[in-house]
Amino acid sequence: MATPRYLTAHKISLLILVKIYCGSPLPASATIPVLSFIISHSIPSVSSTARARPCLENGETSFSVGAFEDALQGIASSMPGRTLLDLFLKHMWELSSFDTLHDLFDGMGHLVRERDDAAAEPLADRMYLSRTSPVGAFVRRARLEFIRLQFDDAMKLWSAFIRYRAPTAQWTKRLAGYALDGVDKIAGEMGLGPGDDLYEVAYGHLAVEEREGTISIDDFDRLLEFQLDQLQRLGSRVPDEMREQLRTMLGPSGVALRQSHLVKFFDAWKAGDYTSAFDNLHRYYDYAMQTREKIHYQYALLHMAILQADFGCFGEAIAAINETIATARENQDMTCLNFSLSWLNHMSKAYPRQMKGAGYMGMLGSERDGLTFLKAKAKETRMYNLLSATLLNEAKLCLASGESIPRALEYMYQASHLHIKESINNHGSQMLLLGSLFSRLGITHLSDVHCQLLLHCYEHSCPIDERIRSVCRCALSAAQYGRYDEALDLLQAIHATTHRSLKYHQYLFLCTGLVKLKRAVRRTDWTACESLLSFLKPDSSTDPEMCFMLSEARVEYLMARGLHSDAFSAIEALSTSLREEGVDILHRITILLAKAELFRRVGKPTMGFSVTLRAASVAFKARLMPCLWSATGLLASILSELGEYDAAARLLHAAIPQALEHNDNSLVGVLYSHIGDSYMGLAGLADTSAANGARLRAANVSRAELYINRAQESFKKVEDITGECEQLMKKAVIARLRGDEKLAEEWAQNHNRVWEAGLARLVDSETSG
Amino acid sequence: MGTLTAADEAQLKAQLQDAVVCCTDRCLSHSAKWAAELLNSLPSTSVDDGSDTDADSPMSDARAPHTPADAVSKNPAELRLEAQESHRYLLAKSYFDCREFDRCAAVFLPTTLPPGAIHPSSSPAATPKQAGKGKPKAGTPAKAKSATGTVQGLSQRSLFLALYAKYIAGEKRMNEDSEMILGPQDGGVTLNKELPGISVVLEEWFRNLPTSGRQPQGWLEYLYGIVLAKGKNEPLAMDYFIRSVHQYSYNWGAWQELSNLLGTIEELNQIVSRLPQNIMTFIFHVTASQELYQSTEQIHASLSQILTIFPTSAFLKTQRALLLYHTKDFEDAEQVFSDLLVTDPHRVDHLDNYSNILYVMEKRAKLAFLAQLATSIDKFRPETCCVIGNYYSSKSEHEKAVMYFRRALTLDRTFLSAWTLMGHEFVEMKNTHAAIESYRRAVDVNRKDYRAWYGLGQTYEVLEMHSYALFYHQRAAALRPYDPKLWMAVGQCFGRIGKVPNGIRAYKRALVAGSYYDAGVGSSFGSGEVSGLGGGILDPEVLYQIALLYERVNDMPECAAYMELVLAQEEGPEFEDAGGEAEPAAGVGVTATTSKARLWLARWEFMRGMYQRAMELANELCQDGVEVEDAKALVRDIRARIEREKGDGRA
Repeated sequence: MATPRYLTAHKISLLILVKIYCGSPLPASATIPVLSFIISHSIPSVSSTARARPCLENGETSFSVGAFEDALQGIASSMPGRTLLDLFLKHMWELSSFDTLHDLFDGMGHLVRERDDAAAEPLADRMYLSRTSPVGAFVRRARLEFIRLQFDDAMKLWSAFIRYRAPTAQWTKRLAGYALDGVDKIAGEMGLGPGDDLYEVAYGHLAVEEREGTISIDDFDRLLEFQLDQLQRLGSRVPDEMREQLRTMLGPSGVALRQSHLVKFFDAWKAGDYTSAFDNLHRYYDYAMQTREKIHYQYALLHMAILQADFGCFGEAIAAINETIATARENQDMTCLNFSLSWLNHMSKAYPRQMKGAGYMGMLGSERDGLTFLKAKAKETRMYNLLSATLLNEAKLCLASGESIPRALEYMYQASHLHIKESINNHGSQMLLLGSLFSRLGITHLSDVHCQLLLHCYEHSCPIDERIRSVCRCALSAAQYGRYDEALDLLQAIHATTHRSLKYHQYLFLCTGLVKLKRAVRRTDWTACESLLSFLKPDSSTDPEMCFMLSEARVEYLMARGLHSDAFSAIEALSTSLREEGVDILHRITILLAKAELFRRVGKPTMGFSVTLRAASVAFKARLMPCLWSATGLLASILSELGEYDAAARLLHAAIPQALEHNDNSLVGVLYSHIGDSYMGLAGLADTSAANGARLRAANVSRAELYINRAQESFKKVEDITGECEQLMKKAVIARLRGDEKLAEEWAQNHNRVWEAGLARLVDSETSG
Repeated sequence: MGTLTAADEAQLKAQLQDAVVCCTDRCLSHSAKWAAELLNSLPSTSVDDGSDTDADSPMSDARAPHTPADAVSKNPAELRLEAQESHRYLLAKSYFDCREFDRCAAVFLPTTLPPGAIHPSSSPAATPKQAGKGKPKAGTPAKAKSATGTVQGLSQRSLFLALYAKYIAGEKRMNEDSEMILGPQDGGVTLNKELPGISVVLEEWFRNLPTSGRQPQGWLEYLYGIVLAKGKNEPLAMDYFIRSVHQYSYNWGAWQELSNLLGTIEELNQIVSRLPQNIMTFIFHVTASQELYQSTEQIHASLSQILTIFPTSAFLKTQRALLLYHTKDFEDAEQVFSDLLVTDPHRVDHLDNYSNILYVMEKRAKLAFLAQLATSIDKFRPETCCVIGNYYSSKSEHEKAVMYFRRALTLDRTFLSAWTLMGHEFVEMKNTHAAIESYRRAVDVNRKDYRAWYGLGQTYEVLEMHSYALFYHQRAAALRPYDPKLWMAVGQCFGRIGKVPNGIRAYKRALVAGSYYDAGVGSSFGSGEVSGLGGGILDPEVLYQIALLYERVNDMPECAAYMELVLAQEEGPEFEDAGGEAEPAAGVGVTATTSKARLWLARWEFMRGMYQRAMELANELCQDGVEVEDAKALVRDIRARIEREKGDGRA
């Protein structure tokens, strides 16, 4: 056995510390640090999700004797002038021969108080451990493991211990009498030292074997458990250096733990290596069959389904999940069953088209029925995790179908309550949902705040997926405001380790591309747009939301470039595909608005009247404020077209103050320009013959100019050259109207300058990029 | 013997070198090792240094004896035969070295050869002795003829190698067939099925020897001796071994087998006269005496003499240590072993004995170190396992100890000390049946192990089967006539079964034996109370037991006398008769035994009416604080009596 099962030199040292703790009274100040040190090193950390736990397992540093030195140096012992470290090392070096090691373990038995002699009077300054206390259990386990050891394994343990404490050799100089013996008292008595033949036989291997025995299988278990936890919970990959360490640890020892295959599986999965992930999953469950637990079967299938779905093989995924559900039902494994159902529900929602294509007909009737069923089940079986997920799903459904916001909020708050009460680590998705709710309500600020909150408070405990989403959301909202560089910086600042998972990498890539595309469209950088669009093609496994955003950006580009018929066919295609799926109401309205906008652009805004009106009414009902505002803008432009300038102005006056809060400068610019247009229209209506009328016209014109100015500013902020130039043109026209030719000329030149500056910027970015 | 002359020494060297080569040729690796070790323990003398050719070229040195020694010791006929079949011999030897024993044997022997091999399979229970004796007579002569024809044409070396390979193959198969140690089927009776065949061939060979005109070399005799010994035909086996050592003295294996056949010192003395007179005989004598627990001054002297010739021989030093161990001189024995360990750190031989010594001395840390050392050298040696077992035993982890002894036995079923030690462990674990079986197996392996005999006796005593136990104790006592403990056990058993006079005699023997050693009398195992009795002190326990036995036969005066003797031991001898000695009093002081004796005496005096003396004794008891209640009651009785007598007297 090359790797010890449980006991290591590190654990012996802990036992010594326990012995010190029990044997001699420590000052009161030392008790808590010592105990917490022992506990943190001896007890497998409970998977409490509520708080980020200290990472014991990172690297081997915590295993070395240095950890003891660091921890004990600062603690005073009951002996004045001596730290606890001195006492500890004294005990360490008192283990002067193999026999004393045996004695140590024999002695440990007396530290634990048996149940029946509880009545016996304890000795004065000694402490007894209860059998069931954490430390007591640790001591008992260690003793049992030692008894089970074969002689030569015990010997290896002893050698490992000698090697382990070797770095503290210089301390023995402070402790008279211990330095003389060297590592072994008997060898010392026989006058042996390094170099003697006999000594070499007994301890010669110390110099050669370096790493052996420093880590036991038990430690491995914990290590892998931790890795698994990280992998599963956060969805990250194994860091490179850790992988290297794992390989060196596992490699030569020949121990093949099941979990290591599982770790490899997750790693390969996240790396996008479908074949080896598949292979490793099978390998893991093949080895797991050793334990003859059939329970593994359904989990194997579940993992398989998730894996398949993740790689876009929905048909296989559905087959696997159906099998999972059947098996789980058969084995009465409620947890697995509910989880599978919930996952299936989630999938059918997230990838409706693909799932339908793969032949998924829906297992639980309508979606709402499904959720109700799951909620009832979760409550019944007290699966709070599932309950919270279901509540959030319900909230999402509410939002998507445009139902009342208060109900959605209620669900969310219920979920939040559950999170806190049952300490479920589902904060990430809740925060994200809340953020998106606020952004739908048009309160961008609050949405941003929630994303930031997520990043600040739960960065270490929430899945990487959610972290990336929140960052992307922040970036998009910054882009919306016109701070493209900031957005790109945000995206680039994400640590490279997260890129190592293919899915996240793709997501980030698309997001970055989207920001760049938006900027390019505003800057009228058509070449960049084309090149970006060519590789921003979503595929079946892309997040549907991202898919939609990309298509939307594409329509925007086509319209901006004036390829109206292309834009129209794109919109039509999008709307038909959306109609099939019964998707988020937001998307539908966006499509309607895009259509209306297209009509406006081709100079026939009235054709889009009914569309716009429908969009506006639905958006109002569902409280999709940004949509409502742009619908209002479009409506106003239609009204202006129809000559109802007054109504248009009033509409816009109602909408603009709210829209300002939304931080979407592009939208604000559009609205301002519309209101400017409507005032110009009003000015045109005014009867110039009447003195009052002339004054009114002048007032309207100046108002129009004011709003045009504002619109220009907004467009400038989002670097929308077309918009800005349009406003400058309008200004020039107004100047001419007033008869101020010089000013008009100035504005016209201004317009040209801005246009050229925009073009120059393009050239710059091309040459520099 | 004294010191050797230079010429003698050179000759000795040459012979030892030849022995190494010959043993290696015949794949007797242990004998070769032994001889080589001995060869290297000779001091490198200045004679060798002077002759530069010899000293500088060890190759020529090693070769040298090969040709000239052959020329002197071997006859030309053998040499010619050896030369003829040298290629086949090399083939056979390499097969042997690859542990392909059957193939090795088949190089020289026809596979149809052993006629006996068919018969044992039909009657597997037949002992080899029967097969060896009966088969050649009853066997079909025609078949035997054809076999012997081929055998006669072989050189003795090749024949030996072939038969030896067959023997080893049989042993291997036997081990493979054997059951788990102490398992339900493990009767220890698995036989080497090749023995009859080998026996037939050898018998034939030796019968033809006088007529064939070939000169025996001693090796075949050795092999035949082994076969006979396995068949329990011991006198004949001994004959053959003696013949073997006459013809070739430097085969240590033969000597060892010979000493295994010796059960008592008398047998040794009988055969001494029949042995050749050379240094090997000398070494043999010392070793055999050691194994028979004869550690007299004379043996020590002989050993010292041999050690002057081979000053660095680990083997001889081990013998010294074992002799010291037998006389319970643990300190010195430990020292010898410890030195040996330093000089030859990779040596595992006899470390089990060393561990026994450390066990008795309760040097647990050192025992642990030894175990550690042995494990790092080779953890699959029976010696190593024994050391570890002893260590665990000293830590009272008997289950683990048994596990390791068992492992030792799996490695080598004939490993004597493991059987005995395992028996001790079973006794500790109160598993008397397993203990009896272990001891029995130990005794079967080697009848000279007094500890196993004693253990058997003790176990039967635990089972309250005293007459049975008596037999074993007697055997043990016969092996070690000067160990009082064994005699005490004998006496106790006699007492239990009602043979009081015999019991008394045995106890008296124990007294004699106890006073014989002036070194401390301890025990190597079990419930040993090491009583550091000085010279002249008699063991009060024994005396007390004698007294009790006398009481049982109603010989009250004797009994009282012995009780007085018990009391006397409290003070030591010089109080009565050794006044001249300046040694401080070495009495045992007040012990439970003496107190019991005192109480008995007090009561006795009381009954005799010697109230004054009774009073004295009772008061002493009260002072010593032992048996106070009884003593006080007695004092009250005595007072009452005295009062009454006074009253009577007055009246």
